[in-house]
Amino acid sequence: MTAALFALPWIAALAVATQGIDSVPPHHAPRTVAIDERIAQDAGIRIGDTLVLASTPGGAGDTVIVSGLVRRSRDPSEVAKGAYRIRVHLDELQQLVGYGDRVERFAVATRGAGGADTARRAIDEAAFGFRAYSSHEIAVESSTTFLVVSRFHRAIGVITIVASAVFLLCIMLLKVDERRRDVAALRLMGISGRTIVRSVVLESALIATLGSVAGVGLGAAVSAFVNWHYQRVYRTPLTFSLITGDIVAIAVVLSLGLGLGAGWLAAQRLVRRPPLTLFGR
Amino acid sequence: MSDEILVAARDLRRDYAMSAGVVHAVRGVTLDVRAREYVAIVGPSGCGKSTLLNLIGAIDAPSSGELTIAGERLAGLSDREATLFRLRRIGFVFQRFYLMPVLTALENVELPMSEAGLGKTERRERARELLAYVGLAERMHHRPTELSGGEQQRVAIARALANKPALLLADEPTGELDARTGEEMIALFERLNGDGTTIIVVTHDEDLARAAHRVVHMRDGLIVDDRRR
Amino acid sequence: MILALARASLVRQRARTLLAVVGVAISAAMLLDMVMLASGMRVSFGSLLLAQGFQIRLAPRGTLPFDTDATIPDASGIVQQLRARGDVIAVSPVLGAQLHVEHGTASVSAAALGTIATVQGDYKLLDGRLPNLADEIAANDALLTAVGARLGDTLRVAAGFDPQLRAYTGQRALHIVGRVHFIYLSAGERAMALPLATLQSMEGPTRADRASLMMVRLRAGADVEAARAAIERDVHTVSAISTATAIEQVEQRLSYFRQLAFILGTVSLAVGFLLVTTLVTVSVNERLGEIAVLRAIGVRRVRIVAQILIEGSAIMLVGALLGLGLGLVTARYLNSILAAFPGLPEAIEFFLFQPRDAWVALGLLAGCGILAGVYPAWRGASLPIAATLREEAVA
Repeated sequence: MTAALFALPWIAALAVATQGIDSVPPHHAPRTVAIDERIAQDAGIRIGDTLVLASTPGGAGDTVIVSGLVRRSRDPSEVAKGAYRIRVHLDELQQLVGYGDRVERFAVATRGAGGADTARRAIDEAAFGFRAYSSHEIAVESSTTFLVVSRFHRAIGVITIVASAVFLLCIMLLKVDERRRDVAALRLMGISGRTIVRSVVLESALIATLGSVAGVGLGAAVSAFVNWHYQRVYRTPLTFSLITGDIVAIAVVLSLGLGLGAGWLAAQRLVRRPPLTLFGR
Repeated sequence: MSDEILVAARDLRRDYAMSAGVVHAVRGVTLDVRAREYVAIVGPSGCGKSTLLNLIGAIDAPSSGELTIAGERLAGLSDREATLFRLRRIGFVFQRFYLMPVLTALENVELPMSEAGLGKTERRERARELLAYVGLAERMHHRPTELSGGEQQRVAIARALANKPALLLADEPTGELDARTGEEMIALFERLNGDGTTIIVVTHDEDLARAAHRVVHMRDGLIVDDRRR
Repeated sequence: MILALARASLVRQRARTLLAVVGVAISAAMLLDMVMLASGMRVSFGSLLLAQGFQIRLAPRGTLPFDTDATIPDASGIVQQLRARGDVIAVSPVLGAQLHVEHGTASVSAAALGTIATVQGDYKLLDGRLPNLADEIAANDALLTAVGARLGDTLRVAAGFDPQLRAYTGQRALHIVGRVHFIYLSAGERAMALPLATLQSMEGPTRADRASLMMVRLRAGADVEAARAAIERDVHTVSAISTATAIEQVEQRLSYFRQLAFILGTVSLAVGFLLVTTLVTVSVNERLGEIAVLRAIGVRRVRIVAQILIEGSAIMLVGALLGLGLGLVTARYLNSILAAFPGLPEAIEFFLFQPRDAWVALGLLAGCGILAGVYPAWRGASLPIAATLREEAVA
């Protein structure tokens, strides 16, 4: 079943918020409106307050009473928009802006499996100049921005992983190289290269495990901070950063793999060289 | 040997604070070394002879006592002054050679001269002369890893002589060498002394000690015997 | 000799040096990219806004240009009022709409900008001429391709639909007289420009004498902010936005990228710092004996530190130069991702290279590299000589 959307056209009722409350004699009993939390906070409006809605700044309008506050939904498309919203009865809005018997869109809820497709076909055939879209199609279209952001994040992530791999290899090589004389002495004593590689890899595994645990903890803390910060900045309940089990698993597997790989490579480099060379002879 | 006193040590002491207590490596040494002398300091391991050499070479600072080298009092010298002093007045030869492995023999000998501000042509010329003096003219472009122990020690000696020091100090110079090479080293030291270099060596090598004009015996941080031959 | 020693030390450990250079290069590339990202949007957007020389934009009061469907009433009156100001050279009113276009069997919707051709600042003419007469339009390549039309063709263009009559409303036959490129539209967006009066007429009474936006060009040397404030005060139905304010608004909406740039840039610097510190520390630790001997033979501490710093700086310099090239390549790639933002003007670049950015990145990296190397180098050069020699001998 297609979820119902509320069809509300955008209007320049922003004029209300920016110009404050005017006293205009009503020509009918005031109707009610619901305003979003942001405008309530910013303009100091409360439930029960009387507002004047006009289509132009300073123009004649309708007196309405605030009957409710609307909380922003977790809609990513609204995040960066600073615009205010109010919910008005449809006929009042049409009359206010001189729109006549017009709307910008309908949202249709259907019944039964396949009801949405049947309805779409029927509407497309009957309505000249209009097209019916499924909610999924709309969602895909309006998600383009976030797909771009998602691709960008992925690219940054890949670059970061490649960079981290190089850094890790560099540092691992340095630290293992530091012990080349010890390794040379062990080799001369008869300890096999395999034992040495195993020992270094084991050490790398331990460090990688500890690092992974610390990294997951750090990531969780940073994620919590990011959500707290951006929810405050954009005044939205949207979750910006989400850590799932999959993400943790990928991160841990990657870091363990990189750590072990770097350790193995560094160790291989050492044991391949003759012990006397490691002594500098 | 001349009458000029090059090294004057008075009641020199050096203590080391260790976790197990204080170690008195040098416990009141008084010693004079004249110019052109060839002195060997001998004694059992741990008697303080290397420590005494380090104090004379301004590599280490005494805990107390007076030390004057070539007329210069070492007490109270700043690190910079001590470094300059070592550069200009002291030549040090180590048991393990301690050559720069990334430089050639020639460049190793040039190093102190470069630090002393000598021009490239002049220092290169002198470095060649010094290497020829120690018998390594054909090996000057080799790196230390390509030289034998004896050859490396010769390069180290050439390096120590680079800035015409007043005093040549050598800590177990034959310690890492075989008997034959050791003999060559002894002959070289004799030649150096014969050419006017004041030498103090610390050694376990009896042959090297025998070659010296004066043997100073140390035990437990003190001089117990001092004989001229 | 110190230089020779530094060079020889780097060459001695080739693999390590190479890997360190690669690490620094990556760090430098990321840092450069983040510096470019931090300033790219602002510079790029600012250039775009000033491309045609209009410093102030007027939108319906309380809105941003083209942010809503709201329009400015009494557009001609406001244009006259503005033109009467001494500091105003030109005023360009613009009305935006979505029109329906038919050509042969092709039928698409397209953005339409109603403008006054002589003062417009929304498009550049590529071919043909500007649409001056009531039944003329100029189209971009995306529209021409979509409907299969060329210069000289006639399109049937409608403003709306009447579902009961099952017919278009406000339909006209319009002749393509020009091929244009729209400066502020996204890549691939179909669009046309036509005379303002024509579009107002097609849109019907609700759009009579209305404009979505007005662009104002001031005389050279005029005080932009003063003019903006005065216009907003005198014309009650508009909000006046200077280029600076517009940039700020966009930056606020895209502030996430600036913050990301700052964070990733800082992380890159930190990692580069860590890398050089580790490299120098390990390098110094391996050569404590050598360093002690150098001090013993009379080489000054400051020269030894200088040698070590030269090694670190050489790695930094080579890495930074490589990173510059790598950074430019990755910036192009990342920019191509972000350029796909729907509705983003084609000319906007998130990663804009300015030589100043390269200097900033290089300078930061160089400073970090030197800082990273100073402490371990000084520490290594300050160890007691005799004790160090003894420890090295035992080791």
